[in-house]
Amino acid sequence: MTQSRAAWYFAWALLAPAVLYIVIIVAWPLIETVRLSFTNASLRRTYDYVGWINYQKIFDRDFLEIILRTFTWTFFSVLLKMVIGTFGAVLLNCAVPGRHVFRLLTMPPWIVPMAIGIFMWGWMYNGQFGMISGLLQRFGFVDGPVAFLAYGHSAYWATIVTDVWIGVPMVTIYFLAAIQSIPRDLYEAAWTDGASRWMRFRRITMPLMAPAVITMSMLSLIATFNSFDIIWILTQGGPSGETTTMIIDTYATAIGSKKYGEGAARAVVICLFLSLFCIAYFRMTRRLAGTDKA
Amino acid sequence: MTTLAQKSLIGLVLAASTALPAMADDISWIYCGDRIDPVHEKYIAEWEAANEGWTVTPEVVGWAQCQDKATTLAAAGSPVAMAYVGSRTLKEFALNELIVPIPMTEDEKAAYYPHIVDTVTFEGTQWGVPVAFSTKAFYWNKDIFEAAGLDPETPPKTWEEEIAFATQITENTDVAGYGLSAKTFDNTMHQFLHWVYTNNGQIIDADGNITMDSPEVLAALQAYKDIVPYSVEGATAYEQNEMRAIFLDGGVGMLQASIAAAFRASDTDMNWGVAKLPVGPSAEGPGTLLITDSLAVFSGSGVEDKAIEFAKYITSPDIQLEYEMSPDAGLTPLRPSEKVDQLITEQPYWAPYVEGIAFGGPEPLFTDYKGFQNVMIEMVQSVVTGSAEPQEALTKAAAELEDYK
Repeated sequence: MTQSRAAWYFAWALLAPAVLYIVIIVAWPLIETVRLSFTNASLRRTYDYVGWINYQKIFDRDFLEIILRTFTWTFFSVLLKMVIGTFGAVLLNCAVPGRHVFRLLTMPPWIVPMAIGIFMWGWMYNGQFGMISGLLQRFGFVDGPVAFLAYGHSAYWATIVTDVWIGVPMVTIYFLAAIQSIPRDLYEAAWTDGASRWMRFRRITMPLMAPAVITMSMLSLIATFNSFDIIWILTQGGPSGETTTMIIDTYATAIGSKKYGEGAARAVVICLFLSLFCIAYFRMTRRLAGTDKA
Repeated sequence: MTTLAQKSLIGLVLAASTALPAMADDISWIYCGDRIDPVHEKYIAEWEAANEGWTVTPEVVGWAQCQDKATTLAAAGSPVAMAYVGSRTLKEFALNELIVPIPMTEDEKAAYYPHIVDTVTFEGTQWGVPVAFSTKAFYWNKDIFEAAGLDPETPPKTWEEEIAFATQITENTDVAGYGLSAKTFDNTMHQFLHWVYTNNGQIIDADGNITMDSPEVLAALQAYKDIVPYSVEGATAYEQNEMRAIFLDGGVGMLQASIAAAFRASDTDMNWGVAKLPVGPSAEGPGTLLITDSLAVFSGSGVEDKAIEFAKYITSPDIQLEYEMSPDAGLTPLRPSEKVDQLITEQPYWAPYVEGIAFGGPEPLFTDYKGFQNVMIEMVQSVVTGSAEPQEALTKAAAELEDYK
């Protein structure tokens, strides 16, 4: 055996556990899902291949509405997380007394188990016992109880607010780290040149934070697009399907109605969208890495 | 004998003895809830003692997941022997050959209250053994009635009175008249079916024809629409237990609820009453939806016959009654008996739960129960939120149900 061939075998031996892991955990379930998506698999122990029928069903009016809702829900949620996260990071970076305490105080939404946090919001949205409705009544903004999860529009925004509450701490901490990595010299030079606080933020902080913002936006986009727990616990996709997103619809189809074939087709569509996001993410990170080198 | 051989022999004996319990025949049981009821625990031990070599292994799974877990395991080809399931799913399981029939003798059938056996019967065969039974009754807060100028001792007997009383409460007090629950949740459909069965309505007939688009069901949907303005604000945000909490907190005057509401109301200082559900214009007597949960025996476990034997044992009249009367269960009795009569005499709030059974209707059986449930919830919510008129919503839903029967 030549030395190069031995090195080749050794390299593959080292890679083998990782390859095996990927095949078992990722590739095989993915291939199986794609295969299932072309069948009419249900509770029956046998099934037939049905071609593209499950995919044709996807493109009815209801599912197109669900796709659109998923995108708008994701867009608003990510946008709010980025905006609030940026302001939060800037504020936490200020040289104010006790800022370490404030930094710690941003963490609870992230630390509290997600389901508990969501149930807490569920109670806050409750019209009869909820804090928000109570405060609105106390200060005379409304005459009677307001059940936020009762109506399509308010339930839609209520789920977004909860998702933002859970997602903001991670974004804030990530952005804070990005801000802290900006060299102080730049701010001192700008200050010496008479740049205002706003100018320093716009011309130094924002451009140098941009890679972090883009990276976090893409990661957040992927996580938010697949967000299941929040909507399921708060509304189960209701009322009247007004908070049903693609992942909720996929769960309801595959697990709820036991239409595993149809559910798999929906899962494949989600996977395609997420793949596009991932490709965009990798391209952007590569471009940003190129910019850094230049 | 060498030391190695001695050690090997000891090892073999130890391995064999520790493996023995695992080799014994076992009936695995998915048990829905937070913990095993002490009554079941006691009788499992007794059954095991009487059936040497057999064990029963209940696995406690929360209500939200237990149905899906049993189904998924069966669909994956590794079924549990027995599971606690909503009887509504039996048709779906039976058609997909996931469960085995559990035929009842004529004597066994006759022991139950009317229509109970119907909840587990499909194509003339029983597919489960009823283990839990729920009916609904009407609750009212007497103090709120008095404050609204109503007679606190006279509950409404008809829908017309119910809507009129709800109007009077809403207009004369600062609480809502009625607790209508219409959340995206399974009991939204159940709540509506109580209205259907108190008006002699029907969803699907014995031959599998969708009969929902009828004057009786339309009247129920119209009554829903009429009572919405006098109900707790935001009905689509609440399921029945959340509405019960509002009632117990004095936030609503009237409610339809299970016996558990009586247990909880007894612990408050609220002045309350319980009566039969008000009836619609086409009713022939007091009605209610009859919901049962059953023990289903899955095919392919290898212990089907013994599981059936155990299911019948654990639901036999004396054990079942003891379970129903245990403080945590809060279940309507499945069978009439002297003890039930005595219970009604001692605790009269049980009476309306039993009186509604004769004219009640079983939960409809569909091949895709979730699909059916979603259609019903969508129909109710569209009327409650005002996005559809009752007739329009009913016709649409009835057409959609054809896909799930």
